[in-house]
Amino acid sequence: MKWVASELHTHTAHSDGKQTLPELARGAKKLGYDCIALTDHNTMSGLADKEAVERETGLAILPGMEWTTFYGHMVTVGLRAFVDWRQAEPDNIRAGLTEIHRHGGVAGLAHPFRIGSPACTGCYWEFEVEDWNEFDYIEVWSTTFAPIRPDNRRAYALWTDRLNAGDRIAATSGRDWHEQKATDDPLSVTYLGIEDEQAPLAEQALLALRAGRVAVTLGPLLTLEIRSGATGRTYGIGAVVPAAADEGVSASCTALVSLQFSVREGLWELPPQSYRLAIWSNKGVVAERRIEATDDATYSLDIDAGDTTWTRAELWGVVKGIYTLIAFTNAIYFA
Amino acid sequence: MLLDIEKHVTPEHSRSHLRFPFRLERPAAKLNIRFSYTPKVLEEDAVARRLMEISIERYIEPERQKAALENLERYLPLQNLITVSVDDADGYRGACHRHDPAQQLYLSENGASPGLIGGRIGVGDWAVTLSVHSVVTESCACRLEVWVSGEEGFE
Ligand SMILES: [Zn+2]
Ligand SMILES: [Zn+2]
Repeated sequence: MKWVASELHTHTAHSDGKQTLPELARGAKKLGYDCIALTDHNTMSGLADKEAVERETGLAILPGMEWTTFYGHMVTVGLRAFVDWRQAEPDNIRAGLTEIHRHGGVAGLAHPFRIGSPACTGCYWEFEVEDWNEFDYIEVWSTTFAPIRPDNRRAYALWTDRLNAGDRIAATSGRDWHEQKATDDPLSVTYLGIEDEQAPLAEQALLALRAGRVAVTLGPLLTLEIRSGATGRTYGIGAVVPAAADEGVSASCTALVSLQFSVREGLWELPPQSYRLAIWSNKGVVAERRIEATDDATYSLDIDAGDTTWTRAELWGVVKGIYTLIAFTNAIYFA
Repeated sequence: MLLDIEKHVTPEHSRSHLRFPFRLERPAAKLNIRFSYTPKVLEEDAVARRLMEISIERYIEPERQKAALENLERYLPLQNLITVSVDDADGYRGACHRHDPAQQLYLSENGASPGLIGGRIGVGDWAVTLSVHSVVTESCACRLEVWVSGEEGFE
């Protein structure tokens, strides 16, 4: 699996951004991203020179649009056609979602707990949701130094609640990047797990997003695999560990956590420290350990997977003097 | 002039779309749109604070509301936001989601203002939609003008 550094929420002057697509793409390249989604508000006109910019920068650019409605912002990516955002009413977002999927796109809640009207009409998610499974993802980390922000903590808690309720839904970061302005804040990276490295990257990135093959971080790349005691096989992020006939065997699993500090070298830094690695599931923290080394390494943690419906890894530590979540993987599910 | 509209909107129009259809009888080289609204900013500080108090109560978790109220200035000044989108007989021709209260826009065969989609300015039913995201002032005066210039193949 190749993990591609992506930024999934960006704007240009085609909506309210203060940058052109080439400026955005060059800026993203400089920050070590290999893939971006252009998600201008309610228009896709900024994508007219997409191919030329991809050729110039080597970046994969996913077509997207942020549904900037009165009741919520919804990022959509990968559509082959326009779906009308102006039909959105509090009780009918499901119809829009169906159309988005029908046209090959994926959709996620953007910054669902950002303050709403009148400071930012529609920024707070107010749509009624019947079935969370129909959404592809929740943007749980918005803007910069994301994990310390209260509205992002609420979004992360919403995601955890949905996983606990049995929904299968991904979690991403998005800078909501409007201009090329330097910042000292740590930046989030959404890594997308690419299965076929020969196929066009944009296509594969979309598949990864749809399948929840996603890992989010302020720096080191944290990924997870579960080796099932029942089947002896290994399952990656977004996959489903099948149920075993024999309950006793299925309960013993190994979490294989890979931590790569060498990614995007020189583009982020964390102070020397002892990190906390935790394996979460619907039962809470089911395994944890300290990490002192910053070499790229894989750690094995035994977990009891009885009554488990999902699991994910989290890396905690100190960033700019604040103890915070640094990285998390998306879920591996249990049938 | 295909459209020349003056419309007063109030806070009751917030979160609604105002659709202004028009018909193009002949193809044109360029469709021009001039749109403006005023005022942009809610100047009455006490009113703005009251609106933000309601908003904080509604959108911020109870345990953080006190801190949010103490930092209420960060949301001020409150502003009206109305955005433009365009449709032709075949479908969507883009939107201009930005804060400028005065915008001079165009669409033509070979180009368009950022947010809008260039292409044929063809015969048929068109519409400009004003999306009233938020009106915080007692009243807000909108002006929308639409006209074509040049026959197809000229200009
Ligand atoms: Zn937004
Ligand atoms: Zn945005």
